[in-house]
Amino acid sequence: MKIKIKTNLVSGIIMGLVSLILLVVMPKQVRVPAFDSGAPSPRIIPGICLVLMLVFSIVLIIQSLVFKKEKIVEFDWAVEKPAIVLILIMCVYVALIIYIGYIPASIITFLAVQFYCGERKLPIYIYTVAAAVLIYFLFKNVFYISLPAGPFFGG
Amino acid sequence: MDFGMIASALVQVFSLTNMAMIFMGLLIGMVVGCIPGLSVTLGIILMLPLTYKFTDPATAIILLLAVYVGGMYGGSISAITLNTPGTNSAIATTFDGYPLAKKGKVKKALDTSLFASVFGGLFSAVLLLICAQLITKLVANFASVEYFSMGILGISLIAGVSGDSLPKSIISGMIGLLMACIGMDAVTGVTRFSFGMDTLKYGIDMLPAMIALIALTQVVQKLRDFKLSGGKLDDANKIDKEGLTGKEMVHILPSCFRSSLVASVLGAMPGVGGGVAQFLCYNEARRTSKHPEEFGKGSLEGIAAAESSNNAVVGSAMIPLLTLGIPGDGVTALLLGAFVLHGINPGPTMFTKQGVMAYTIILGCLIANIFLAPIGAVMTRAVAKIVSVKYTYLAPVIIMFCFAGAFAATGNTKELVLTAAILIFSYILTILDISNTPLMLGMILEPIMEKNFVSAAMSYDRDYTIFVRRPISLVILIITVVLLVSMMQVNKRIEALNAQQEAEMAAEHAKMDAEAK
Repeated sequence: MKIKIKTNLVSGIIMGLVSLILLVVMPKQVRVPAFDSGAPSPRIIPGICLVLMLVFSIVLIIQSLVFKKEKIVEFDWAVEKPAIVLILIMCVYVALIIYIGYIPASIITFLAVQFYCGERKLPIYIYTVAAAVLIYFLFKNVFYISLPAGPFFGG
Repeated sequence: MDFGMIASALVQVFSLTNMAMIFMGLLIGMVVGCIPGLSVTLGIILMLPLTYKFTDPATAIILLLAVYVGGMYGGSISAITLNTPGTNSAIATTFDGYPLAKKGKVKKALDTSLFASVFGGLFSAVLLLICAQLITKLVANFASVEYFSMGILGISLIAGVSGDSLPKSIISGMIGLLMACIGMDAVTGVTRFSFGMDTLKYGIDMLPAMIALIALTQVVQKLRDFKLSGGKLDDANKIDKEGLTGKEMVHILPSCFRSSLVASVLGAMPGVGGGVAQFLCYNEARRTSKHPEEFGKGSLEGIAAAESSNNAVVGSAMIPLLTLGIPGDGVTALLLGAFVLHGINPGPTMFTKQGVMAYTIILGCLIANIFLAPIGAVMTRAVAKIVSVKYTYLAPVIIMFCFAGAFAATGNTKELVLTAAILIFSYILTILDISNTPLMLGMILEPIMEKNFVSAAMSYDRDYTIFVRRPISLVILIITVVLLVSMMQVNKRIEALNAQQEAEMAAEHAKMDAEAK
């Protein structure tokens, strides 16, 4: 499956909508402080950014529709599928780190990644397990940063 | 120059810890730079969380600078052995490096690259040492109004030159500024755009964002390519024993000198960087050479021009960063982030308030370039073997390090959630052809810009016209517009020149390959 994406038009529409929505919700999302400290409103910088985002989104849409200036990117599902699968695996990895800890999460995730990438030899799996354990203890004992231990490692 | 401070800085640089950091940084930089698809920025991001526990911030910056220096040379190793540049800054190195390697003279090409890299790096580091304090004296009268305008200049220039669509780059920069706005406002205590989520309440920390935007995005793309190619590795040329002779060294000196000079000037301008400098220097070397016909066929002068230029950018890009606090490109933007994380405020006051530290960093950069010569000579052969290592060995370790590093930012698991979310967002931006360099710069510059904006507004009773009424600020804003317009035109011309040069060289290489068969 191949989809041709008109990136100027699509970016213009998406970013324009995002900036518009954020501008609309700004009064609720960025409250003005109850008393005046003499500081400028906390809405100024995000407000300027959102207006500029909206303006340049419109510029992109005009470039695409009026001046026919377009950069087309072909989204090939066959090519992008591995990237999307890997990103999804990263999301699962995060959930696993939180619930079962860094070492088991790393072992499960990266053994799956190795398998997905076509690795079938045992040494690379042993290496991956060793790397997970080594990095955990490197952070703990050398950098004094305790990564989430999870229920299996006394967390 | 303040020789007292320089003497104190020298003592600090030569401490055992700093020497070890320079060695480690150069080696890691060479490895990361050597692997096509992974950039110097990735090396710096991987090292950043490890520097958290360093007691001396200068040691942290020295380590990161050594990664930068090593990475710039590392890019040439795969450019020569594989005909694939390890980093974008080594594209021009393939023009002559690969043909020379094809002739069986891999060691000669690598030696030329190392010699030129060291020459370029040293040249710009000395320039940095001389210029830094002179520039800080010029800008000593800057106040918060001018610093805010400088921030505008920095972000506009990067937006203007990264990617090929200005509107998209500006949008990207604005997203970066907005992302940095999320969470509690430091001055008023108001929460911005948290949507009632605890994860967003305390803002998006810079480190997890950088890890997701740069490091993880690169690793995922590289792993995707690995999977699509079925794990096939490119054939690397074997390294022989015939190195660079003394006579050849003398022969390439003028080319090294000219390129270092041009690249240093270009590198000091925000928004240029090694990618642009290498092509201009290569072209200039060919134009002034006595043997222009050898270019593209394995000319030592060609390799020297490309390599001295990209290493010369390292030192000169530090000039605007250290003196004005504005980064010149993506890598220096990340270094600015590292400065902030370690409580260093780059800018004119750095040389008065943290003078010894400023000189320690500059001298650290100089020493890293000197050490690149022996370390490069001894380790290149070993580092070159890394391109023959399957990516499935490297990727898991890099990803595990990335998530561990993201967690280390605050020690809260919310950083991991944010990292995954930003990774998805970064992928969407890639599909929409929006460069994430301006985004990264926006995120790093926002706290600095807003701090100066707030203090300027409070000092002048919220009179926002002050940014155009103070003459220096007005001049900076005018310069921003003029530079933006002119640099975009220059960039367009350079892009056309690059495309032409690359096409010519590809044709030349294809012809050579056909003849060899």
